[in-house]
Amino acid sequence: MRNLALAALVLFAAPASAEENLVSGLSQDVVQITSNYTGTDLTVFGAVEQPPAGGIGDIVVVVRGPQAMMTVRRKDRIAGIWINDARARLVLPSYYFIASTRPLDGIASHETLGRYELGLANLHADPEVSDGDPAPYVAALVRAEARKGLYRQSFGSVEMLSATLFRVHVPVPATVPRGSYNVEVYLFRDGAVISAQSTPLYVDQTGFERRLFDFAHGWPFFYGLSTVLMALFLGWASTLFFRKR
Amino acid sequence: MEIYLPIAEMSVHWLIVLAMGFGVGFLSGVFGIGGGFLMTPLLIFYGIPPGVAVATTASQVSGVTFSGVLAHWKRGSLDFKMGTVMMASGLIGTAAGVFLFGVLRRMGQSEFSVSASYVILLGSVGVIMLNESIRTWRAAWEGRSVSGRRPGQHNWIHGLPFKVRFRQSRLYISVIPPVVLGFVVGVLSAIMGVGGAFLMVPVMIYMLRMPTNVVVGTSMFQVLIVTSAATILHAVNYFSVDIVLALVLIVGGVFGVQYGVRVGAKLRGEQLRFFLALLVLAVAARLFYEMVARPADLYSLTAVMP
Repeated sequence: MRNLALAALVLFAAPASAEENLVSGLSQDVVQITSNYTGTDLTVFGAVEQPPAGGIGDIVVVVRGPQAMMTVRRKDRIAGIWINDARARLVLPSYYFIASTRPLDGIASHETLGRYELGLANLHADPEVSDGDPAPYVAALVRAEARKGLYRQSFGSVEMLSATLFRVHVPVPATVPRGSYNVEVYLFRDGAVISAQSTPLYVDQTGFERRLFDFAHGWPFFYGLSTVLMALFLGWASTLFFRKR
Repeated sequence: MEIYLPIAEMSVHWLIVLAMGFGVGFLSGVFGIGGGFLMTPLLIFYGIPPGVAVATTASQVSGVTFSGVLAHWKRGSLDFKMGTVMMASGLIGTAAGVFLFGVLRRMGQSEFSVSASYVILLGSVGVIMLNESIRTWRAAWEGRSVSGRRPGQHNWIHGLPFKVRFRQSRLYISVIPPVVLGFVVGVLSAIMGVGGAFLMVPVMIYMLRMPTNVVVGTSMFQVLIVTSAATILHAVNYFSVDIVLALVLIVGGVFGVQYGVRVGAKLRGEQLRFFLALLVLAVAARLFYEMVARPADLYSLTAVMP
């Protein structure tokens, strides 16, 4: 639904306000994971062309990772032991970053924020729960992902370089999942979306890591066998090494 | 320097991983164990996903064990017949264990069952070993001698059918106990990532009454085969073996073993068993504490395999 809303907006709303165009770009459109990858920083920058006299309004920048199905389990105390008991399956982005010029509740109504899934409290998880209320499961997932640095929201972190020019730093941690991401920039005024832009971003392993990953998934038997042979070789080589000394 | 693990999809500090491999390898050398029961919890503690930790530890154990097998083979302290019997049932056990691991994982109980099997097994093996080593120690102190092996004595194992002669072990016993032992160790290897030497060695010494010098070589042979098989089965079924992690762990491990063996040679048998018992009990106690203490977050997150 969120994608539909965004697509409709980009198609129809944007031309209507063509005189104040929102333009934005990324410092890089591919994040490559190499053997010494420890996380990186992206920059999303943009400008509002020909803004009205009252100021440009509010900018909201969202980066969403590929949707992933995740299982959240709740431990309960059974006979003195904490054991996984209830579970929920949720479909949520595997990475989520949001930055805005000021706190979201000042920018738009709860319904509008929910329609575009803006803010960690407004994500649609599509939950399938084994018992009762899905809310604590979604909250737990957001908590866990925030701990890993994969979910983050920071209000007031949109830097205004001039009256119309803005910039946002997006931290991409080392544990970031591979896949195709979406960078969305929204221009809000008086609680409504005036203009929006969406740019794809790819995160992928490259070179050696990529080949290993493909090997492990494409030829798992030979991958396992080579791991064992490597292990045996190292074990054998160590005996030679120590005999010589 | 950080290195990126392509299967675990995270980056780790290679020196820390190398040190973990070395430390566990050192202890394996000292005590003549594979060290999987230390490695798996250590990796999970460092943040490696449990599935990857179990599968990769299996490959680490096979690498570290191989040098030991070569040494025992050369010395002739390896009962191939006994090893082959246990290997055959061990492989079936491994396959069953990998299947069981998948079922438990789908139920969300893999973490619990791994912890529970660790606590039960390590706890009981640790208590038995501690008790035995203290008795031997005290006897030595008082100037008595205790003989571990009484060749003339028979127990219920000798009443079982299908007797086979194991020349190297100087035994004429039923094949049932080795087959059952091999199977159980195979299952454990698959679900806990351990070689199972800590379980196998006491059973071979106290129940099968194999001579101690053949026990270590034979159990190493069995561990080597079973962990190699477990590595391949995990790779095929769950894509959870991280070869980069394995490489660093093994390099640290094989060096650790060599130094450990030197230290182990200076310790007496009952001292070794005493310290090993303490180590085993410490791991069991820690895991038990985690099971009964209220977790910091009652909710836990697992990504569903894509």
